Amino acid sequence: MLLAYKLALASPRVTARAIEASEFAVDADRHGVHAVPAIVVDASYAWAGTVPEAAFVERVLAARGS
Amino acid sequence: MTLGEREQDAIRSVLAGLEGDVDVKLELGPTATPVTLLAAGGREIDSNALTQEIVEAVCALSDRVSLSVVEHEEPGPWPRTTIGAGLEYLGMPAGYELTTLVHGILEAGRAAPALSDATLERLAAIDEDVAIDVYVTPT
Repeated sequence: MLLAYKLALASPRVTARAIEASEFAVDADRHGVHAVPAIVVDASYAWAGTVPEAAFVERVLAARGS
Repeated sequence: MTLGEREQDAIRSVLAGLEGDVDVKLELGPTATPVTLLAAGGREIDSNALTQEIVEAVCALSDRVSLSVVEHEEPGPWPRTTIGAGLEYLGMPAGYELTTLVHGILEAGRAAPALSDATLERLAAIDEDVAIDVYVTPT
């Protein structure tokens, strides 16, 4: 989660939210979240699990089609 | 007491590293999609109340952190904690996710982003808005 926060702090183009999956189960289900941490980019499920910084950035950019 | 003395000492130590002031906004109210949350033993958890306890306890551990609390009457994505200019946490920052709250505050109070030059270069090239949601659980 902290990586998402760091990206948001470093770029005005990026916003980051942590969402507690149990409390927001409807949203989690809608995005196909089955394991945490689950990363959703631009409202589309991207991946689950922790990855290093470089991989995180590349996956986020790939998920949005950059 | 929401936080034990050891937790308070650890959090105080982390927040001592703040390089600037950080505003934290806590929004409470009825959730738009209510769920029943149970603690061990079957006791029902009041997410708004527990979140307020946690966030108030953490913010009280540093003079650099200011907390404001807003109560909503309309249903929404509450409880929502906004750290600094826009880092959001929806739900209770409890358990393992206490770290997200504390270190989110620390990151928001940094003078410069704690990221590699390569990452900063990639970010500088982004020309459209990107929304990252990370689903988490306290356990």
